[in-house]
Amino acid sequence: MIEIHKLTKNFENIKAVDEVSVTIKEQTVFGLIGTNGAGKSTVLRMVSGVLKPDEGTVAVDNMPIYDNVEAKKKLFFIADEPYFFANANAQSMEHYYSGIYENFDKVEFYKYLEKFNLDKGRRIGTFSKGMKKQLALLLGICAHTKYILCDETFDGLDPVMRQGIKSIFAKEMEERGLTPVIASHNLRELEDICDHVGLLHKGGVLLSKDLEDMKCNIQKIQCVFSSTEDELKALNGLTVLKKEQRGSLCTITVRSTREEVEARFATVDMIFYEVLPLSLEEIFISETEVVGYDIKKLILG
Amino acid sequence: MTSKNSFWASSRENHKRRIWVWVVAVLSQLLVYCAMTTIYLSRIKNQYEMGAFRTVEAFRRAMYQAARDALAFSDNLWPVVTFLGAVIAMQGFSYLYDRRKVDMYHSVPVSKKQRFVVIYINGIIIYLTGNLLGLLTGTVIAAAQKAVNVDVLANEGLAFMWNFLLFLVIYHAMILAVMLTGSRFVTLCMFGVFVTYEMMMYWILESMKWSFFKTATSFYLYTDPKVSPLYDCMEMGLELKNASDAALAAGICLPICGKWILIAAVLFAAAYFCYRKRQSEAAGKAIAYRAAEPIVKIAVAIPAGLIVGMVVLDTSYNNEMLMVISMLVGGVIFCAALEVLFAFDIKSLFKHLWSGGIVLVGILVVFCIYKWDVFGYDSYIPEKNEIESIAISVSEYYDNYWNDNFEYISLADFEKEHMFLTDTEPVLTLARKFQMADAEQMADARSVHVLYRLQSGRQVNRSFMIDYADADAQTQLNRIMASEAYKKGVFQYMTEEPFLEKLTRVTYSNGAAQVAIPVEEAGRLKEAWMKDIEQYDFTLVRENHPCGQINFQYVNYMSNYLQVYEGFENTIACLQELEAYYPVKLDAADIDYITVTNYHNELTKPVLMDDSGHDFYRGVYGSAVALEAAYVEDLYVDYSVRETFYDEAQIAEILENIHPIWMVSEFAGRDATEDNYSVEVVFKKDTSYPYERDSYYFNYYFLGGQVPEFVVEATAYVEE
Repeated sequence: MIEIHKLTKNFENIKAVDEVSVTIKEQTVFGLIGTNGAGKSTVLRMVSGVLKPDEGTVAVDNMPIYDNVEAKKKLFFIADEPYFFANANAQSMEHYYSGIYENFDKVEFYKYLEKFNLDKGRRIGTFSKGMKKQLALLLGICAHTKYILCDETFDGLDPVMRQGIKSIFAKEMEERGLTPVIASHNLRELEDICDHVGLLHKGGVLLSKDLEDMKCNIQKIQCVFSSTEDELKALNGLTVLKKEQRGSLCTITVRSTREEVEARFATVDMIFYEVLPLSLEEIFISETEVVGYDIKKLILG
Repeated sequence: MTSKNSFWASSRENHKRRIWVWVVAVLSQLLVYCAMTTIYLSRIKNQYEMGAFRTVEAFRRAMYQAARDALAFSDNLWPVVTFLGAVIAMQGFSYLYDRRKVDMYHSVPVSKKQRFVVIYINGIIIYLTGNLLGLLTGTVIAAAQKAVNVDVLANEGLAFMWNFLLFLVIYHAMILAVMLTGSRFVTLCMFGVFVTYEMMMYWILESMKWSFFKTATSFYLYTDPKVSPLYDCMEMGLELKNASDAALAAGICLPICGKWILIAAVLFAAAYFCYRKRQSEAAGKAIAYRAAEPIVKIAVAIPAGLIVGMVVLDTSYNNEMLMVISMLVGGVIFCAALEVLFAFDIKSLFKHLWSGGIVLVGILVVFCIYKWDVFGYDSYIPEKNEIESIAISVSEYYDNYWNDNFEYISLADFEKEHMFLTDTEPVLTLARKFQMADAEQMADARSVHVLYRLQSGRQVNRSFMIDYADADAQTQLNRIMASEAYKKGVFQYMTEEPFLEKLTRVTYSNGAAQVAIPVEEAGRLKEAWMKDIEQYDFTLVRENHPCGQINFQYVNYMSNYLQVYEGFENTIACLQELEAYYPVKLDAADIDYITVTNYHNELTKPVLMDDSGHDFYRGVYGSAVALEAAYVEDLYVDYSVRETFYDEAQIAEILENIHPIWMVSEFAGRDATEDNYSVEVVFKKDTSYPYERDSYYFNYYFLGGQVPEFVVEATAYVEE
């Protein structure tokens, strides 16, 4: 488990991260969402031990990370612009990392290279941006660390590659309990990967929740009420986050479980109702609007 | 940590990233050692083939010396070592400039300490490999030509240590520069400041001292940069190269090596401390520590401003107002430039005005300290009870001096080592009376240099003018110069063996005659002179010119002199006994003719004045604008009048009133001789007088006020 407690970092007069507290549980895919400048990279660089926090702590499996080799052995950090040695190829990078990470799986690495059509002898300088990100991910995965920290690594990967990486993550999570932490400014990029999401804004955490919890606790209902009385009766006691009406068709977002909503609507005379699945985007819109933020401006542009 | 992640694995990986540095380090040193060895030895061989060496032994010695020049303390190597120290350090730690590299290196499970140690040691390995490879190859080349002996090898060993320590100092200075900065350009600037700062400060403070303090002197004590290895290399390199053997070289280089070890250790500690404290976000910044920016700005801009001021003072002929303005403008420009550099933003020109203000105030404070002598440099005279002993130099030239190795040393060095006046009152009296006095008001102003050795161990050196014509000054000078301590400080024969066994020739001269004296009589002559020198004091040298001098010549063309005065009865008696004494007055019967030149300085002087009353030299170099073109032309007018006298009576009268130029006492009054005239005496070819036959004529001065009337008339200037 990675425990981040009241993490603060200033760059000269700019507060990049302001008292961020998040817990990253094992064997979950943690998504760190935020606009450019929200502090995602800074948080990841502190979590990986690159930056020293001005205040607060980062503990990786109860070990402080900064200048702690034992803690660093447990994670692999892929920066937003991963660095490869000048004139290096995939093979020479493998030599370097396999010398540093004691569990580096060379066989698996070359297998993955082949699977992703990456030439092990080709100079990395000639790779496309996406190929470099793939290579960095494969190096990170094959380092066999417990945690892999990816800073904007998925942005720009094509859907096939994303799916490929996603399936590798799933396999590694199942086989050895890998915990990926993925930072992105694009909510849609993380929707199908993350189990838990932390939303950063202006250096602070707006929310941090399990995606399933969020999905289970927010319901979107499309319905047509028979009468106003029926509507009042159906919504009485429910926390309505959002309500839109077009003619007689209502779209209501409420904080409740699906079962509770269905049970309540079953007791009311409805012309029509249906409980619909919410996208991650819709969940975030609903959650952040409650606390006074317009998520569309923050993340979706 | 597993074996894979061990130190050696990290080291190996690090070497892979430093291939080009390996190539540069090995090739450059191989090239320097091998090329120099080949060139130097070939040169000696060519000279041998051309018959430049009389014996095979001489040729062998030259070969050994050439091998030493190439492989030991070579002028060509220390710049290469300096370059490599800087390049290897900068390349090794350059990852700190790049955020992407920092992200990778600082996130992997390698401790900060291990990363530093790996890069640091690998840098040393790279240098040493290249150095040893070059040295070994060069030695093999030299050995193949039989140019290697134990002394060459011993010198190589010393030079290897010297170069390695120089490398370490430079290497550590560059690592420190990298740790303090975040970009290559700023690192290079910082490194440049590190290696030149002391020399720069030395130059500024010395220049200001000489410009503003009238008692400043470096006669006895000269300050050198103390912690600049490059200065050491420049200063000591030649001395090391010329050291006759390895033991002598060791004596010179080991103390410096000890100093370098200390400097290297301090720099290493500072560099490692900064490395530990450096944060990853410093990558790409100008200065890694924000708090250091104003310190750097102040530390660089103040001396930079002062340098600008001193250069302007120097080129504007001591225009102090211009100096102040240029210092302040220079300070402002440097402050602005540094702010731009720190922020990499031209808009930052006038940021942090407070530190700019400190710079300007600092510049003005330094200027005021020197201009108004705030700490009383010029007026400093130690209290009597503070002084352990004093050395004083009243003469620019007494004799030649040598050290234990029979090498010439300066009068100042000899006096410093041998003159210990404990009767300090006369010197202090002179200092109190004349140190702050205006030399232009003195009738006969002469400079003296004083070295105060204080009880505290400190030494203070001052120079001031005293008035030889002043009765009080004469009394004090008599007390000083008559003392045993003074004489031991200026006459080497009083304290040391005169190397009689190395004597090759002894002569006596009265200015014209030169008579050889048997070398075996030198001891007797010296003893006689030692008795006579007891009467030596200021009055003797002020009122009398030497009547002759004994010249001792030694092996290696070294020589020294003993001045003989007419009152030196023992010496003169001894010389007469040896049939070597000839009076300074010549006999007209031996003289063929005398030519007198009257330079008519009284005519030349008025045209040497410019409109503002400055003399010619100040006029031309100081205020050239004020000097009329016509005056400049006049300067080249020759007013001198020459007249030759053949008449024996006239010659006799002239001879009565002249004294050899090079035997005029430097302590005599300004009017002791007539410097408007020069007299050339030409001997008859058939005379038996033992004049030096190599010379055609002999130069004399008329004694003060003793120019015969007929000479004045004959050499009068007549306008055409």
